[in-house]
Amino acid sequence: MAELLASGGTTEMVRAVLDNGADAVYVGAKGWSRRRAQYEMDDDQVLVSAEYARSMGKILRVAFNTLPASREIPLLLAKVEKFTSAGIRDFILTDAGAMRELSLRFPGIQIHASVGCTIINAGDARFYKDAGATQIVAECRMGMEEMRRIREEVGVGIEVLVHATTCYTLLGRCTMSSYTRQESRIDAEGKNHFLGSPNRGGLCYRVCLAEWDRIGENGETEASMLVLPNQAYFLVDDIPALIDIGVDTIKIQGREYSVPLVGRMVRFYRALMDAYTQDRSSFSIDPWKERMAGIVSARDGERREKTEGLISESLTA
Amino acid sequence: MQGIELIVSVSSPMELDGTDLSPYDSVCLGNPYCRRVEGNYAEQLALLPGAVSSLREAGKKVYVTSPAAPRGRDLPHVERLVDAAGRAGAQALEVHNMGVLRILRERGNPLPAHMGAYANVYTHLGAKVMKDYGAVRVRPNAEVSSREMEIIAREAEIEVEVLAHGKIPLGVTDRCSLLTESEEADSNCPSACRKDHWLTSREPALRGGSHPGKGERREGGWVLKTVGKGILSGRDMCMLEHLPGLLSAGFSVFRIEGLHESAAYRSEIGRVYREALELAASGGTYGLRPDWADTVRRHAHVGFCNGYLFGKTGKLYVGPVLQKGNPVL
Repeated sequence: MAELLASGGTTEMVRAVLDNGADAVYVGAKGWSRRRAQYEMDDDQVLVSAEYARSMGKILRVAFNTLPASREIPLLLAKVEKFTSAGIRDFILTDAGAMRELSLRFPGIQIHASVGCTIINAGDARFYKDAGATQIVAECRMGMEEMRRIREEVGVGIEVLVHATTCYTLLGRCTMSSYTRQESRIDAEGKNHFLGSPNRGGLCYRVCLAEWDRIGENGETEASMLVLPNQAYFLVDDIPALIDIGVDTIKIQGREYSVPLVGRMVRFYRALMDAYTQDRSSFSIDPWKERMAGIVSARDGERREKTEGLISESLTA
Repeated sequence: MQGIELIVSVSSPMELDGTDLSPYDSVCLGNPYCRRVEGNYAEQLALLPGAVSSLREAGKKVYVTSPAAPRGRDLPHVERLVDAAGRAGAQALEVHNMGVLRILRERGNPLPAHMGAYANVYTHLGAKVMKDYGAVRVRPNAEVSSREMEIIAREAEIEVEVLAHGKIPLGVTDRCSLLTESEEADSNCPSACRKDHWLTSREPALRGGSHPGKGERREGGWVLKTVGKGILSGRDMCMLEHLPGLLSAGFSVFRIEGLHESAAYRSEIGRVYREALELAASGGTYGLRPDWADTVRRHAHVGFCNGYLFGKTGKLYVGPVLQKGNPVL
């Protein structure tokens, strides 16, 4: 049975997703994950959330999935040491060197290679497995056949985002945001939050979602009001197949959304996954698609508002 | 200029044609963005033996790039590319994808790896892992500052390549933004990316405004260059004013990004950097010559940038001379 993993942007959200049926929750260590600080947690909040997850027999996974600076590696090691001492064993990372270092220093920990690793083929999966990853997150547009190959041939766990948004570029291989605005902000622990870099600090100004004109080499307008493809996707139809091929984790993104909306998403996917696994032969996806429409509408509303705010923010540099 | 290496990237015979390679020590053949680029050396493997041997006879080091974002279906081609580049006598494979790096090792490392712009090298620990796979050189991600690069070079004991001039690679995708149909069905493929295309944002003051002409820009808007499956900076990364500092920091490998540029761009920018590097390496008084400034300005349609190398916003420019006349935003 695949694990249902959902986002924990706050301690309240952690409780909501676990109470609503998620098997595991991921949280970001402040300054270290692919979201801005307001959706991350300080150490005490991480520890309290981990205790809550443990009390329910569930897992809390801590994301350190930004790409740090070399001089920040000692900070990373100290923080992981603190968390492992408190019984946390599950981490999400992007830098292959940090993965190898952690897997050697803290034997037995579970390392998930983040979506920021841009794992698009089985060779990538092998590389990150060699570096210490026990599970990899498939790139958002990876086909089912490639997932099957990774599952069967590479021998590493596979995690699939089923409720997220693709970037126009390959996620983890884009610096459009920091090209338009990047600031250095060093916190009390010495961690730079690299504001504006999703790879390094988590905050993405979603520059690709601005409206563009495409101009040719002689100044002619080739296309107006262009919006680079950047679509939300909800793999409701694919969930039965994902379960059938043995995907280990089905993940719902959404640390920046409201707690009620995230709770509603989790309830929906929990019920869907349970319904399919309990009776595969008579399962029908159609009623689930209808139920999903309301969630999509609410989610799009929240996302649209945030995107406009982020683009405006990037222009105030 | 012993020990200094100036590299230019060239996609295809069409790009090579008319390019004066005399300023360069090395040529990186091929286009990492799209396998369908016309004449792509990384795709048209039959072109490699002739191109590599003629360049080597001309005294150049020759590298071959590989696809930046290969899907599983592309990996058999990557295996053939590795073998073909090795057989042709190329001296390194530029690698952006970790699956490709692994293939290189599985095939016995017939040639060393140079980690490319999309390999996401941010830390010395990451560079060490890649070194263990056969990498001898890394080009850190564009966001990595020169001070961080120094740490990577020192701690990983690996050569670091610096983008000295040209469009900064900002993103790669497998969906071509220049086509309206699929690659196979759209008659604009593969010729569309031979021309220049600029993305100009309508934010913030552009709603209802007029379009800029060639070389113009909208006030307050962003300008990027699109090459179909790649997004590049609109501005030219320019480190001409900072070469003495880079040399004294220990960097000696510099790239002029020549992909999707004109032969004149590659030739003239290369000439400027060759002369500038010679002056900077001589230890004499270094200053930006007016003719160098004129040349780089003439080729930079939307100005200069180098902010990333100083830990700042990528599109900003740091430097006293070329800042003059450079757009503020």
